[in-house]
Amino acid sequence: MRAIALPTSELPDEVVKELHARVYTRGDQKEVRFDWRAVPALLPVWWNGRLQIVRWGNRDRAERKLPPTGWTWKATVEKGRWVGIEPEPVEIPANYVLANGVWFRVREGLRGLMVRTPSGVPAVFVVCEPATRYYRVMTRAEWMPVLIKEII
Amino acid sequence: MAGFIAHLDADAFYVSAERVRHADLANKPVGVLGNNGACVIAKSYEMKAKGVKTGTPIWDAAKMCPEGVYVKRDFYWYEVLSRKMLGIVGTFSPKLEYYSIDEFFFHAEPLRHGQQLATTATTIRDHILEATGLPVTIGIARTRTLAKLFSDTGKPFGAVAVLTRDHERELLAKMPVTEISGIGGKRADRLAPYGIRTCLDLADADGRLVKRLLTKTGHEIWMELNGEPVMPIRPERPPHQVLGRGGSLMGNVEDPKVLWAWCVRHVERLIEELRYHNVRTTTLAVEVGWKDQGWTGGTSNSPTPTDRIDELLDLARASLRRAYVTGRTATHMQVKATELRRGKGFQLSLFDKPDPKKDKLATVKAAINEKYGRFKVRTATTLYLPAVYRDPANEYDICDVRGKVCF
Ligand SMILES: [Mg+2]
Repeated sequence: MRAIALPTSELPDEVVKELHARVYTRGDQKEVRFDWRAVPALLPVWWNGRLQIVRWGNRDRAERKLPPTGWTWKATVEKGRWVGIEPEPVEIPANYVLANGVWFRVREGLRGLMVRTPSGVPAVFVVCEPATRYYRVMTRAEWMPVLIKEII
Repeated sequence: MAGFIAHLDADAFYVSAERVRHADLANKPVGVLGNNGACVIAKSYEMKAKGVKTGTPIWDAAKMCPEGVYVKRDFYWYEVLSRKMLGIVGTFSPKLEYYSIDEFFFHAEPLRHGQQLATTATTIRDHILEATGLPVTIGIARTRTLAKLFSDTGKPFGAVAVLTRDHERELLAKMPVTEISGIGGKRADRLAPYGIRTCLDLADADGRLVKRLLTKTGHEIWMELNGEPVMPIRPERPPHQVLGRGGSLMGNVEDPKVLWAWCVRHVERLIEELRYHNVRTTTLAVEVGWKDQGWTGGTSNSPTPTDRIDELLDLARASLRRAYVTGRTATHMQVKATELRRGKGFQLSLFDKPDPKKDKLATVKAAINEKYGRFKVRTATTLYLPAVYRDPANEYDICDVRGKVCF
């Protein structure tokens, strides 16, 4: 997946104001799109009880200790590979997810892994797993984000 | 004067059903994908406006309508809403025929003395929207055929009552004859040389000519177009005499285990079809097409109508045994439910079935199949179909578009 979208109505006003360049209209509703290609790449997360906007991954390789991507495998997380930097599981709220040009609806959002970079900046990685058959046919992708409370 | 017939049809039903539980999808281009994720099986009017049709592969649809949002078909949710809608319509009219998951016919009667039927249609339509969140279109006319025509052409969110011959003629003149369900390309081609292009042309044509060109069924349509009801509302009547699933076995099959695996697969798909139409069957026929050696068939009967996987597999096993010929090579298979029943006082609720324990298992299985892909939970039998179920290189599963097969 390459982007997610959340209706502006689900985000605090200040956030929408700050991200106005990322606001799009779909149908008759405004939404903020969080795109991996945007600079900087950002994602919303539920963290410490509130919705926050944080860096998505480490695309610009600002942190040499972190992988230069925005995703991580569920299996890697489960093997404890991230333990050294005290990762926290978080929820990434989303209504729509974009993968290979196809937007699809998700119920609650995606699972993410939140880390603090050595310099203290929080960053989130989207947790992925091998794609289900349906997902693979729909998006032609071999892997998919781990969805919250649903399997498609 | 005879009573009037109403036809109710939910607008973009699968999409509307998704909007009932996901309000954010309102006014957006939305496509519902089949269980395989390969084809659009239903689309919103916004997506239709971009050229996406039922059966359009997801990849073409995504190009035509990049802003479109796709959701996976959730048949059980659609069934829940369908039954809810049916229950509501039942409170307005006791004489009600369940035609399909989102289409009913019923006797149209004024809700209050002296009420205009157009008002009745509007009232029922608005009530359904309020109570279920589903937009529907209602057409009221002298016959089923007319009612369906006027609701089909009154979409979306229409409520029309066409009660006089003059009004009928005015509308029929504007409709191409292909608007009538069952009069498609070939039949329309047969009519064209006689100058029959609109529904009114057909209504005004000579009855004997119509019978010659379109057989008895066409003649019945002709009578109904002229306001003579010949297809009454029958609450117990199933809309079809036979429902079937099947097709090519994708090559030569000699191993009886593989043949049985295909049979199980077709039975599973047949059950979805039975549920779509809310019918059960007392017979199950299995027909096998053999390489260069024609077809053989076997049929088995159940004492009570059923739509349950365990019972239907028992019937299928016996039927396949009858159809099977040792030493031959199979290339095709059909599984057919040939005696369809709606059952006495057929249920408005999904879950009040006679054998709770067994049904619970079937329901759970169905739910899991829905959730994890239709073919995840199954008997060990179908493991003999690795090429169909497990090998990602062979993605030739059949799509869920009704009446179509696409790979
Ligand atoms: Mg409909």
